[in-house]
Amino acid sequence: MTHSSKAFYWMAVPALLLFVTLHTIPALTGVFFSLTDYAGYGKWTFVGLENYFSLFKDDRVLSSYSFTFLFAVTTTIIVNVLALAIAMLLNAKIRFQTAFRGIFFIPNVLAILIIGYVFNFIFSNSLPLLGQWAGIEWLSTSILANEDLAWLGIVAVSAWQSIAFSVILYLAGLQTIPADLYEAADLDGAGYWRQFRSITFPMIGAFFTINMVLALKGFLQAFDQIVALTGGGPGTSTESVAMVIFRGGFQGGEYGYQMANSVVYLLVIVAVSVIQLRTLQRKEADF
Amino acid sequence: MFHLKQGPAKALSAALAAALLTSCAAPPAENEVTLDFFQFKPEAVQEFAGLIDEFEAANPGIRVLQNNVPDPDTAIRTLLVKNKTPDVLTLNGNASFGLLAEACVFADLSQEPSAKEVLPAVQDILNANGRCSDTEINGLPMANNASGILYNPEIFAKYGVSAPQTWDELIAAAETFKANGVAPFYMTLKDAWTTSPALVNLAAQLQPDGFFDRLRAAGTDRNNSPVSFSKDYQEVADKLLQLFKYAQPGAVGVDYASGNKAFADGKAAMYLNGSFAVPAIRAANPDAKIASFPYPVTNNPANTTVVSGVDVTLTMGRETPHRAEAQKFVNFLMSKEVIDKYTKNQSAFAPIRSAAPQQDPALQGMASYFTAGRLDGYMDHQLPPSIPLVNITQQFVLDGDKARFLNTLDNEWFKIAARTPKRGDQ
Repeated sequence: MTHSSKAFYWMAVPALLLFVTLHTIPALTGVFFSLTDYAGYGKWTFVGLENYFSLFKDDRVLSSYSFTFLFAVTTTIIVNVLALAIAMLLNAKIRFQTAFRGIFFIPNVLAILIIGYVFNFIFSNSLPLLGQWAGIEWLSTSILANEDLAWLGIVAVSAWQSIAFSVILYLAGLQTIPADLYEAADLDGAGYWRQFRSITFPMIGAFFTINMVLALKGFLQAFDQIVALTGGGPGTSTESVAMVIFRGGFQGGEYGYQMANSVVYLLVIVAVSVIQLRTLQRKEADF
Repeated sequence: MFHLKQGPAKALSAALAAALLTSCAAPPAENEVTLDFFQFKPEAVQEFAGLIDEFEAANPGIRVLQNNVPDPDTAIRTLLVKNKTPDVLTLNGNASFGLLAEACVFADLSQEPSAKEVLPAVQDILNANGRCSDTEINGLPMANNASGILYNPEIFAKYGVSAPQTWDELIAAAETFKANGVAPFYMTLKDAWTTSPALVNLAAQLQPDGFFDRLRAAGTDRNNSPVSFSKDYQEVADKLLQLFKYAQPGAVGVDYASGNKAFADGKAAMYLNGSFAVPAIRAANPDAKIASFPYPVTNNPANTTVVSGVDVTLTMGRETPHRAEAQKFVNFLMSKEVIDKYTKNQSAFAPIRSAAPQQDPALQGMASYFTAGRLDGYMDHQLPPSIPLVNITQQFVLDGDKARFLNTLDNEWFKIAARTPKRGDQ
């Protein structure tokens, strides 16, 4: 090992220490407590895998998983389709291109909690007025108070905010495509749609993959926007997994039990991300 | 890297130290004791600040540091995890308090002189939530709330309706208002918890005696339990739904703050809430017309009770190093003068024998029940906080599916009993 590469290892030590103390050790502590009946305070005893067995019999936990996946998959698809479309528009030769790019990035700068409260007002007060005026019945009351529609409100707000970040990644990707590819395609008489399918999309494959993985992972951990919009309601119809963990673990005095839930959820997210990376990377173009 | 030269660094730290010192009213004396006072109620911060000044003036050598945080039930747990139990605490006397008391984190206050003054019915309600052992008292009630129906006396007088004594009269009153185009109740369904005042009152008077004791005794055995929500809460659910059928249009999108404002402005005849809403309603409109009566749940007025909970519970950390000073502060806060002043300013009920009766006209309708001890505890304080009761109730009020509602409650109860067997035994 040369002298200089040793120095690089030493430079990584502070970051490693921080990561281990702030991330790895707390995570392992959580795994440890998932094997106990710890309430978050007071005495505790080991219960083995009891918490994990109870988890699979808890319909509230199971329904939070199905809500979270429904929400995350829907939002990921909407975000990626719209973000790619917007990125292509912003990459085209349009006037005020830089200004538009700036404007489309604004939602990402705002805190989701604040956006959530603003949209909460819009959904509860403004949209119902519009619905009453237009005579649309399902829109005349707050959609957040409707058990069947509330999740769509959350999807809309989450998508509105996270499209901005995906657009930036797609824009970066679009700029890596050499212009001569399009010139050659033009000469061969390829239409716009054909160019998108055969050049643009394969060439930004890596960016598509990372966007899909980041978006799905992020939405699986949804919490803030739900707190601001529905608080998990009406009833418990929009409770995400993160929310059940917080409520049960920190407010409900079932710390150990919800730690087990966290561990399972960690494994689920890792598994989903790995599967996603594997299948999507296989489809990326090599160049 | 950057380097601070010695000179400027020293000047900077001196300036910081000076700023810190001047921000304190007085530098701490040699053997002064500082009590860490965890105060959960944001509405009462000013009130307690005044009381602390009074206490410090009378007790030189003791300083009290009031800490008020948002979401106190979560904050106290994080303090306990870090083994930083405050010296003196106020907490809401709810199920969460009961669980903490059961975990023996609070001192035994049964020998305090002020404990003898407490109304027994109120102390029983608090003890029933949970305590370290059967002989201990882990919290003293400082102020109580009462859940009842608030009404607008002007609207009642205008349509010739008097305060209902029975369930039939209540429904007749609602029908009268409805027929005259006045909203009988103002409902705030956006905030799930506002469905629970009605639920707890219906449950308190309609559930069989010892319902929760028998339910706990059944342990995890749902099929052989002598009592269950599905069996014993049928009438509760029916009547709850009947009340919420009178919700004004658009109630699903209205929150508690808007509801207080609307009721304060006379937009509805009645408001299903409690004494705790009175200061908030007056804040929305100082001229609000408010009066109250207890929920007439059955057609026999003799059965009517007021559901009351301990709004402010006073307690001490079990291992506090400043026990004597903490005791002094607790007994000061429990004195007649302090409680009279507090209950007057905060529209609360005094839980001690010697206290002056509540004179607030908004609370007169419930005051006599309180002094006569015709009280019941909050049913939701008997449920583990990990059951999302208010959300389940909100759902029921919205979809009206009674079988699903009661089944969910049973299901949640026995599921939690199964994974916390120790709690099931108690």
